[in-house]
Amino acid sequence: MNKNGPLEYDYSVSKLFLMNTLFVGTIGMLVGVILAWQMAYPAFNTFLGEGLAEYTNFSRLRPLHTDSVIYGFVLSAVWATWYYVGQRVLKVSMAESKTLMFIGKLHFWLYFFSSALIVVSLLMGATTSKEYAEFEWPIDLAITVIWLLWGASIAGLIGFRREKSLYISIWYYIATFLAVAMLHLFNNMEIPTMLATSPAGETMIGAWWHSVSMYAGTNDALVQWWFGHNAVAFVLTTPIIAMIYYFLPKESGQAIYSYKLSLLAFWGLMFLYIWAGGHHMLYSTVPDWMQTMSSVFSVVLILPSWGSAINMLLTMKGEWQQVASSPLIKFMVLGSTFYMFSTLEGPIQAIKSVNAIAHFTDWVIGHVHDGALGWVGFMVIAAIYHMAPRIFRREIYSKSLMNMQFWIQTLGVVLYFTSMWIAGITQGMMWRAHDEFGNLAYSFIDTVSVLHPYYTIRAVGGTLYLIGFLMFVYNIYKTTSAREVEEHELQNASPMGA
Amino acid sequence: MDIALLQAYGYFIMTAGLAIGLYAYIYHLYSKRKDADGVDYEKYSNMALKDDIADAPVNATSRDKKYRKGIKK
Amino acid sequence: MFHWLEKHPFFFALSVFVVIAYAGLIEIVPSFAQASRPLVGTTPYSTLELAGRQVYIKNSCNACHSQLVRPFKSETDRYGHYSMSGEYAYDRPFLWGSKRTGPDLMRVGNYRTTDWHENHMKDPAAVVPGSIMPKYPWLYDNEVDLETAYAEQLTVAQFFSVPYNKEIPMKDGTTKVIKMGDSIAESNALALEEARIIVADMKDQNIKDAVASGKIPEIVAIIAYMNSLK
Repeated sequence: MNKNGPLEYDYSVSKLFLMNTLFVGTIGMLVGVILAWQMAYPAFNTFLGEGLAEYTNFSRLRPLHTDSVIYGFVLSAVWATWYYVGQRVLKVSMAESKTLMFIGKLHFWLYFFSSALIVVSLLMGATTSKEYAEFEWPIDLAITVIWLLWGASIAGLIGFRREKSLYISIWYYIATFLAVAMLHLFNNMEIPTMLATSPAGETMIGAWWHSVSMYAGTNDALVQWWFGHNAVAFVLTTPIIAMIYYFLPKESGQAIYSYKLSLLAFWGLMFLYIWAGGHHMLYSTVPDWMQTMSSVFSVVLILPSWGSAINMLLTMKGEWQQVASSPLIKFMVLGSTFYMFSTLEGPIQAIKSVNAIAHFTDWVIGHVHDGALGWVGFMVIAAIYHMAPRIFRREIYSKSLMNMQFWIQTLGVVLYFTSMWIAGITQGMMWRAHDEFGNLAYSFIDTVSVLHPYYTIRAVGGTLYLIGFLMFVYNIYKTTSAREVEEHELQNASPMGA
Repeated sequence: MDIALLQAYGYFIMTAGLAIGLYAYIYHLYSKRKDADGVDYEKYSNMALKDDIADAPVNATSRDKKYRKGIKK
Repeated sequence: MFHWLEKHPFFFALSVFVVIAYAGLIEIVPSFAQASRPLVGTTPYSTLELAGRQVYIKNSCNACHSQLVRPFKSETDRYGHYSMSGEYAYDRPFLWGSKRTGPDLMRVGNYRTTDWHENHMKDPAAVVPGSIMPKYPWLYDNEVDLETAYAEQLTVAQFFSVPYNKEIPMKDGTTKVIKMGDSIAESNALALEEARIIVADMKDQNIKDAVASGKIPEIVAIIAYMNSLK
C-alpha cells in the first residue's frame, strides 16, 4: 500500500485463489470428461497404458473428479470471491492489516499444498470411502486448520469493517463457514488404527494414515448423508448465492429486487436444508419417520430456493436488454434459471415413489450436474469474469469468445442432463420390469448395454463444457495483457474487448 | 422420560419457536420503516452497488467515522 | 431485535448456528442412543475378509456397486432378502453406495463363486459380454496389507467392543467364534489359513504359488470378502 496515496482494496489473495480456480477447474473437469468416456467406452480405462491402469481406471479417478471439482474448483472460487466481495461490502482493505494479509496468504498456501496431498492420496487409494469425505485423518486435520484460517479471515475483516450492517452475501459466507465446520467435524470422527495395541504388545501396526469410522452401519450412513447432502448445500449452494447477490446487482447496476425477500429466503434455507439429508436414504434401513420427514422438508425447500432465484431474475426487471447485450449477465441469468430448475428437480426426486425409480440411477448424476454445471459453474465463471478486470485493471480480452463459450457450454449442459434423464429413467424402469410370469424381464447387463448411446451423448456434452471452460481460461489468460482500463469504466458493467 | 419423548417435545417446541420467530421477522421487515429510527431494508442493496472504499457506508461504524474525519483534514 | 442481530456478527453467527444445528440435534443424536445392534447370525469380519474389504474401499468399488437391497419385489428377486439395519452392525464405514453402475453386492456371496470372481475381475467383459467394468489386473500382483486389517480389528475390538474371539449366537442356536490373532505373526497365519481355502478353488498358478510361499495377493482377500457377503 502506498502510505500517502488513497486507500485501495488489495486483491492479492483473491488473485491467488482465482488462478487456482482456473487450474484445478481444468483438472477436475478433464478428469470428469475422462470418466464419462470410460463409461461409454471402457477401453479408456487404460488410456495411459496397462501399466498405469491402477491409477487411471474409473473407480480410482471418480473421487478425484468429485473432490477436485467441489473442493478444488468451487472452494477456490468461493475464497477468491470472499477475499474480493468481503473487502468491498465491508469497506475495508486487506492492506490495512498485515495480520489479515498473512492469514489470507497462509490460508491459500496451506490449501494449495493440502490439495496436492489429496490428489496423491486419492490416486494411491488412501480413502475412507465416504463420498466427498474420502480423506483420511491427517488430511482431515489439515482441512480443519484451513477452515479455521478462513474463519479468522472472516472474523478479522468483519472486526475491521467500516460498514456496520452485514450485506446478505456476508450472511451466506458466514453460514457456509459454520455449517461446513460442523459437518466436517462430525462426519470425520474416526479413530486412527495406529493407536491400537496387540495383546503381544505391538504398536503402530499397519498403515499409519488408516482410520476406522466412529459410527457403524446405519448410523454411519445417517451421519454421512447428513454431511453429504449438506456439503452440497453449503459448498455448492450458499456461497454461490453469496456470489450472485453481489455480482448480479453490481454488474447490472440494478438494486436487488427485494432485499427483504433475500433475508427471508436466507433464514428459510438455513432452517430447512439440513433436514433434507435423509432423502439420500429412502427405502434404506434408517427409521421410517426420518425418511418421510426428509421427503417433506425437501419439497418445502423449494420455497426458499425459489425465493432467492426469483429475486435474482426480478433484479433484471426493466433491464432485460442487458441479457442480450452482455454475455456476463447471460451467465448469471441462465445460472439462476438452472438453480430454479435443479431445486425443483431435487425435491421431485426426493418424493418416495419417484425415488424408488430414480435412486441408484444416472438421473441423480444428471441432477447433480445441471446444478453443478449450469448453476455453480456458470456463476463461478461470471464471478471471475467480473473480478478479472478489477483485479488486473484490464478489460476482458474478448467478448465474442465469451459469447461463444456461453453457447457451447449451454449446449453441453443440455446434452448432459437430457441424456442422463433418459438413461436414469430407462434403467430404473428396466430394473423393476417383470414379465407376464412374474419373473424379472431383464438381466442386469441388459440395463447397462441399453445406456451406451446416452453415455456417449453425455460424454460429448461434458467435452463441450470442458472446451468452453478452456476458452474461458484462455480468455482470462489474455485478459492479463489486454487494454488497461480507467477507474470509471469499472463502476458497473465490466469492460470487454471485441 | 425416554429419549423419544424428549425428542418429540424438543421437535415441537423448537419448531413452534422458530415458526413464531419467522413470522415476527416478516412483521419486523415490513413495519420497521415506520419507526423513528427506522431502517429501509431496500437501501441495503447499496452495500453492493456503492462499494468503493471512498463511498459512504449505509451504517457507518465508529472506525469509519474517524477515518472520514481524517480524509477531510 | 432482528435489526440489532444484523449489526452484531457474533450473535448473528450464533443464531445461524442454532438454526442449522437444530435438525442434526433432533434427527441424528437420538438415533445414536439406540445403538446399532447386530442381527442374530451377523458376525464381524475375519482378518482376510477385512483386508479384502479394505481392497474394496481402496479401489472405490462402492463408486459403482451398492450394498443396500431395497424392499421391492424387483430387488428381492434380483438380489435376495432386503437389507436390515442389524446386518450392518460391523460395517465401519458403511458401504451402501449411491449409484448402481454395476449390480448390488449386498448378498453376492450367495450366488457367485470364487472361480467366477477370479475370471471376472481379470476381464469382466469376457465373463459378462457388454460389461463396462474395468479390468483389475493389479489385484493379482499386489500383495494385500494384512497388518492394517489387523490394526483395524484391534481398534474395533478395543474401542467398540466388537466380539472377536468370543462366542457369537447363530440363527440355528449354535455359536461361532471369529478368531483374531494375539500378534501380527499369528494374525497373518490365520489369514493365510483362510487364503489356502480360497485358492483351492482358484485356477491361476501364480496365485497358488504365491499363497503357498506365504504371500497373499489382493485378489484372494477381495474374494474372501465377496464370499462373506450373504
